[in-house]
Amino acid sequence: MRKVIFPTLARFRLTVQLLMLVVTVYGSVFVGTYMADKLSNALPALSCAYDQMNGGYCVLIPTQHILHHRIGEAMVRAQQLTLTMVLPLLMSFAVFFAFFFVLGKAFCGWICPLGTLQELLGRVGRRFGIGLRRVAPGDLGPVQRVRPVKWLILLGLVFLLPLLTGLGVTPHALGNPYCDVCPARIATTLLTGSTEQLAVAVDDKVKLVLGGTANFLFGFIILAALAIRQPFCRICPLLAFNSLAQRLSPMRLVKTRHENCGTCRICTDACPMDIPEISQADGRKAYNEDCTLCGRCAEYCPQDGTIKLKWGPLSLFASSRAYYKQKIAAELPDGTVKPLKFVRSPAKAAPGDA
Amino acid sequence: MRRTILFFIAGLLVGPVTAQHDHSAAPTVAWTQQPLLLPETGRRERDVARLRAVGISAPSVSVHAPAGDPEVRQREFTLSDGTARISSAAPQIGNYHWVVLREASPDSVRIASTAWYFSNPGASPEVLLATPKHELEIVPQPLPREHGQYRESEKWRFLVRLHGQPLVGQRLTLETEFGSRSQFVTDASGVATVLFPRDFPPPPTEQAGGHGRQSAAFVLSSEHAEGGQQYLTAFNLRYGPDAERGRSLGWGAAFGLAGMLAAAPLLRRRQSREVPHA
Repeated sequence: MRKVIFPTLARFRLTVQLLMLVVTVYGSVFVGTYMADKLSNALPALSCAYDQMNGGYCVLIPTQHILHHRIGEAMVRAQQLTLTMVLPLLMSFAVFFAFFFVLGKAFCGWICPLGTLQELLGRVGRRFGIGLRRVAPGDLGPVQRVRPVKWLILLGLVFLLPLLTGLGVTPHALGNPYCDVCPARIATTLLTGSTEQLAVAVDDKVKLVLGGTANFLFGFIILAALAIRQPFCRICPLLAFNSLAQRLSPMRLVKTRHENCGTCRICTDACPMDIPEISQADGRKAYNEDCTLCGRCAEYCPQDGTIKLKWGPLSLFASSRAYYKQKIAAELPDGTVKPLKFVRSPAKAAPGDA
Repeated sequence: MRRTILFFIAGLLVGPVTAQHDHSAAPTVAWTQQPLLLPETGRRERDVARLRAVGISAPSVSVHAPAGDPEVRQREFTLSDGTARISSAAPQIGNYHWVVLREASPDSVRIASTAWYFSNPGASPEVLLATPKHELEIVPQPLPREHGQYRESEKWRFLVRLHGQPLVGQRLTLETEFGSRSQFVTDASGVATVLFPRDFPPPPTEQAGGHGRQSAAFVLSSEHAEGGQQYLTAFNLRYGPDAERGRSLGWGAAFGLAGMLAAAPLLRRRQSREVPHA
């Protein structure tokens, strides 16, 4: 029965993603107005607090607010840092970790509403034969150039600027700068039918710049997601935040060495984050900071037991040749669906590509 | 500035009238005669609130928590010089607390009520609101969530009940700090849908540097006579300006379209090669 409803891990993940999209965007409609207060305001997914219908808030909101309103301002008042000032931040991190402990970075690949939306757009792109842009196999260069961006956003927009605003160094409009540029804020509120967050503040230059950046990013991602898999996830500060704790969660990706590793590279082709290390490395290095634990690499690995999704000692899913054959018959590793395709036929190889 | 002067003049005019009122001992505000529980200005503390009684006299204020043991569910805080310093009973007891000031005489009961958000995770206020706490009540259906607030041009529902029973056809009056006054009537389920007036003045040219959202006070009040008793109840809180004031949807859409234009070349690239895994 389970195999009929969820014949593949991908189908199961899509079901979870759609369910969590409803919970994170419209949750209060089903379980009461105050659910967000009850579920948590420290979720490891971009569930936006500006969405007044959602079921929980992202951990980046309290982090910015506490650094701005509590720690920064308290340091100015008291000229010292005490435990009571830091305690709320520690509490937020503790609540975050309580959630994170269970699912780890699967919050990115299975729960995050913006991740789900990008993935759905990517499916539309594949269906309509829009060419997929991705890094050349084995090329670490472009991936490594992008990777520091998410850390810089986390450090600058989530930690530093809110603290400096609390200290009175930067203007108040920079109190929660990450939320002001976050495209999930616009995407999720638009899904509830509200255009409030799409409108940008024009009465304050700083807010205009931040709001304009958010809208530009949102527009860019909506279109880019048709051609690039998970474009925003690559620079998402929550992915960086989750990476900080990824080794502390029992939920993880485990890869052992196989003689074909580094040559077949199907796992990297399947990876929506284009992580080259998954095909080239094994052990800790294979579970990269960009991994969202979506499990596609394990689905498309043709070797029995080489890649596994594990929770502690439990193996939740393991690669197998039989599963690979079943999977590849319906969908290519890059997400191109066979045989149904709208609008255009599959691209033919360029003469020089042979 | 002009508004401040107008309020000052209005205060001078209203002053003599309120001085003749029964509750002359309690201070009043210029924009309403209803009893209020107003937060004191000044530095705010996380776990403590200072509330000032306006237009009503009582020895203590009752604070109802959304959860906890019976002894902490309702606590009394003495008023000193018309001000009470209230606090949450315990951590993790819930955000919203219901605060009540009750003034009773042989033939009348006057109530001032408000809700206070303590940033104290725990139980939601559903049970707190559903439980009758005094005779005539105005109950928000629901209270705004964290990061939300009542805002001008929005409609919010309020239940009016007496001794726990909904009052049908009951008149409810809304007054705001900016001088608006409107009336609403409860439906068959005792609920009135209240439209918050669009009455915020244009923001000052020089933006104040402080933080905290711009907001103003409002009070909803209702009167009812039954069994020889006159009941008056008031619920006051704050509301904010329309979220789209000072914002431009056109500019927002323009920035979004610019982003899409920037991404458009990505779609024009040649299609990816078929990967020969099948």
